[in-house]
Amino acid sequence: MALGLAGGYGAFGAVLGRFIYPARAAERVWQFVTPLNRLATGDSLTYTTPAGAEVHVTRRNDTGGSEDFTALSNVCPHLGCQVHWQPQHNRYFCPCHNGVFDSDGRGIAGPPEGMVLSGYPVEVRNGMLFVEVEAVPLRAPETRS
Amino acid sequence: MTTIRRWLDDRIPIEPGALRALTNEPVPHHLKRWWFALGGTPAYLFVVQIVTGVLLALYYQPHPSTAWESVRYITEDANFGWYLRSVHKWAATLMIAAVVLHQIRVYFTGAYRKPREVNWMVGMSLLLCTLMLGFTGYSLVFEQLSYWGATVSANIADTIPVIGGFLKKILLAGEAYNERTLARFFVLHAAVLPGFLVALIAVHIALVRIQGVTELKFRDEPATGDRKFPFIPDHLYTELIIGLVLMVVLSALATLAPATMGPLADPLTTPEEIKPEWFFYVTFRWLKLMGGTAAVLSMGLIVFLMFAWPFIDAWWRRRTRLREASVWIGVAATLLLIGMTIREAVAPH
Amino acid sequence: MTLETKRIIIGSLGGVFLLSLVFVQWLETIRRAEEAGLRPERIVAPASSLACIECHRETNPGIIDHWRGSSHAEKGVGCVECHRAATADPDSHDHYGFRIATVVTPRDCAACHPHEAKEFARSHHAAAGNILASLDNFLAETVEGSTQPFNPHSPTPGRPMEPVNGLASAFLGCQQCHGSKVALRATDGGTITLDDLRPDEDGIPTNVDVLDRILRNDDGRPLLDPGSWPNTGIGRLNLDGSLGSCSACHSRHDFSPRRARQPENCGKCHLGPDHPQKEIYEESKHGVAYRDLTDSMNLDAEDWVLGVDYSAAPTCATCHMSGHTRNNGRVTHDPGERISWTNRPPVSLPMDTDAEHRIVTAADPSERREQIADTAEAKRTRMKEVCSHCHTPDYVNAFYEQYDDLVTLYNEKFAKPGQAILSALLDQGLRSPTQFDEEIEWTWFHLWHHEGRRARHGASMMAPDYTHWHGMFEVAERFYMELIPQALEMTEQADAAGRSRQARTVRELVDSILARPEHAWFRSGAEVESSRIREAMAERYGSRGD
Repeated sequence: MALGLAGGYGAFGAVLGRFIYPARAAERVWQFVTPLNRLATGDSLTYTTPAGAEVHVTRRNDTGGSEDFTALSNVCPHLGCQVHWQPQHNRYFCPCHNGVFDSDGRGIAGPPEGMVLSGYPVEVRNGMLFVEVEAVPLRAPETRS
Repeated sequence: MTTIRRWLDDRIPIEPGALRALTNEPVPHHLKRWWFALGGTPAYLFVVQIVTGVLLALYYQPHPSTAWESVRYITEDANFGWYLRSVHKWAATLMIAAVVLHQIRVYFTGAYRKPREVNWMVGMSLLLCTLMLGFTGYSLVFEQLSYWGATVSANIADTIPVIGGFLKKILLAGEAYNERTLARFFVLHAAVLPGFLVALIAVHIALVRIQGVTELKFRDEPATGDRKFPFIPDHLYTELIIGLVLMVVLSALATLAPATMGPLADPLTTPEEIKPEWFFYVTFRWLKLMGGTAAVLSMGLIVFLMFAWPFIDAWWRRRTRLREASVWIGVAATLLLIGMTIREAVAPH
Repeated sequence: MTLETKRIIIGSLGGVFLLSLVFVQWLETIRRAEEAGLRPERIVAPASSLACIECHRETNPGIIDHWRGSSHAEKGVGCVECHRAATADPDSHDHYGFRIATVVTPRDCAACHPHEAKEFARSHHAAAGNILASLDNFLAETVEGSTQPFNPHSPTPGRPMEPVNGLASAFLGCQQCHGSKVALRATDGGTITLDDLRPDEDGIPTNVDVLDRILRNDDGRPLLDPGSWPNTGIGRLNLDGSLGSCSACHSRHDFSPRRARQPENCGKCHLGPDHPQKEIYEESKHGVAYRDLTDSMNLDAEDWVLGVDYSAAPTCATCHMSGHTRNNGRVTHDPGERISWTNRPPVSLPMDTDAEHRIVTAADPSERREQIADTAEAKRTRMKEVCSHCHTPDYVNAFYEQYDDLVTLYNEKFAKPGQAILSALLDQGLRSPTQFDEEIEWTWFHLWHHEGRRARHGASMMAPDYTHWHGMFEVAERFYMELIPQALEMTEQADAAGRSRQARTVRELVDSILARPEHAWFRSGAEVESSRIREAMAERYGSRGD
């Protein structure tokens, strides 16, 4: 009897537990950034993801492959604040604890020293640069069907 | 072990023996018959509703712009969401059915008579509470029928003389369904009504305990011998069996007829076919039989009569010789209920 | 019931409950697996276009809804990526903080699709807007309409007495397929087109003086001339100097490759009395198979390679543009790459083209060899690669022999003689240089532009009824019953007017044509054939049929 009860209600409890646990990791999608010919070597641009995060995309080479590009997150690896690019100092700066990163995203001063800004995966397809970012689904326009 | 027990006894001075005596009430013999355990069924289902409801509330968002999408998320994206939502829906259906069956049983066995008139009225309140839970729960999905059901209901409330307009405004948070309405339904469904229900159930059970279960005797029972048996373990087992059967039935219903999603509510288009949940078929049919205020007032009168039935019955039995008229009235009322429900079920509109 | 029984029942019910949950888990697993395969790509709004979407989803929900279904949306290409404009673009304007232009041109598309744009630019499609000097344009602007606005000659109740726009037929008829010359309205009441702007290689105007004359509304938005926009004609002449409109086939705003693969898409323009390719296709076995097997066409496939993704039936795109297994799946945006006859002009020519993709008309063989960059035979070979997915080489070669014979028959028996008669009439001054003011000009136009093309197109795409009844039969009737009598009548009128020398020249030409063996039956009769027909009719139907 105890076994039956434990089995039945135990399994039910497991179902409840699975329900509470987030269904899946946030979905990621490949998003178009720019045609390659619009980003010269040495130039960079700021791409805003659908979720609102800013990605610093820099072209460092001219081979035409994805390895030419870096796409750095603006989330500080220390405690998650937003870093911003300071062009006058050629560095990323985190205002929370005065963290400083060089242009490659390596922490060079402050608490995140030795850490690196995380990168986004990039891909070149048909001469266009794509970046993989978190998806924020767009709801359909409220058309009547 | 003893240290822990002593530590606990010092702080929570409850004697285990007293606790056992309190919970282990002797149960009348007729409760060995299964259909006399119907009162425990809605209580068990209510627990299921609390558990699944709390979990569903983790994902539900009571706003017109997100409600339907959040229900869709539960149904399509969340782990086992479709299953829990279906269990919740089917448990609600079974709960209402069980409450009604329990009430019918109480009625025909005359268990509402003195000294149990108050508990009958508590039971009536439980019935109304359960129906309102069903209604508010259905409104939360925010599909077409939820929206139009709520609109129609609010306008029914509006036809009540004097206080109707006030009630409607309280219910809808405005003159018409608006973006603050769903939050009310949600709070009613997930906090206020369950709170009432818990309190009422507590009173209901306390009264049963104080007054004892109505003892009934059947012809085929031995005339002599112990008329009672202990609650634990015998009746507990019975309830466990009922609980498990309910779980299996719920799982079966949830997998074979899972809760689906209707089209998103559209305030500009009333669907061609509009019908409430089955447990409101009777009221729906009643509304169609007569117009506005008359229907509402007569329905109010019927509910009042049901509440007051123990006293009416007592008055009747004192005054007349037709002492068992209640049975025939009950049969007539039950047939009418079933008839109107079926009539509405088969009606195309 | 004893307690022991109850315990056993509880135990087994617990087991059943467990089993039911195992069933639930099984359903959940199936559901997840199905979802993984079926779930469409998540549509996200690119941050760059979030503001556009929020507003336009209220004002034009259809645009946003279409876009959501596009692969642009799947890949994060939003509104500004295409509508963004340079400040120097004459039609650009500020729109809630974005510098945009309404008309998106092939130059804009080329930013991401350079190969497609290049192929398209050298195709006959891109040149479709150059019809100013064509018979069709003369018909629409002058014969059907009026090059100058004119006043109504009586009032229409409910309508103001405004000048009539004589170009309406050209705008809505010719230009919606061929493409308009996109024009901005000017402050002086005129229009500004690429001719005034003289855009450089990057599409930026070199003649900046005209920019001040652009008429703008209160928001500073330049006003497009309604005669030229809306327009998705395939050869549109854009303000930035680019030619064409990608949305002619890839309708905005879903840019659906699926739709471009279907014959209905081409059927917006390739239909009707003068080139019923759509109807011809529907009559052919190819079209019949497509209609039946549409479900097997895999039209949503990413690459849609014939022989890999589908082989149920060919559509227009399959034969003329799409990739297949013999060419590594390479799509071309120049539909002329696989066409070996030009069936558009009065007399068909092989599609030997020069480096500029023009037809080589030189007669001298060595001169031809010098000029030809891509031969008709090479084009035919490319088409045969498509055919070979479903047909054997012998079959395909024999078909091309049948097709060549039909085109040659039309050319030699009717087109060249007809052309010669019309030229002779003009040379001898028997008809005026103005087109369509003499009956014989309408006759000739019907013969080659409508009926002659129907015959040739019908033959090229295996539609027997178009080849014969709508084609050669009508060509013959037009030739024998209208063109020849009208030409002879004109010679008689010339005789009466005292121009017998000119009349005789033309009459001799007609006589020499009708004396040719293929026309001899018309004057000398064909009694043997006729009596045979009468006998056959009598045998079959009991009467002689005459």
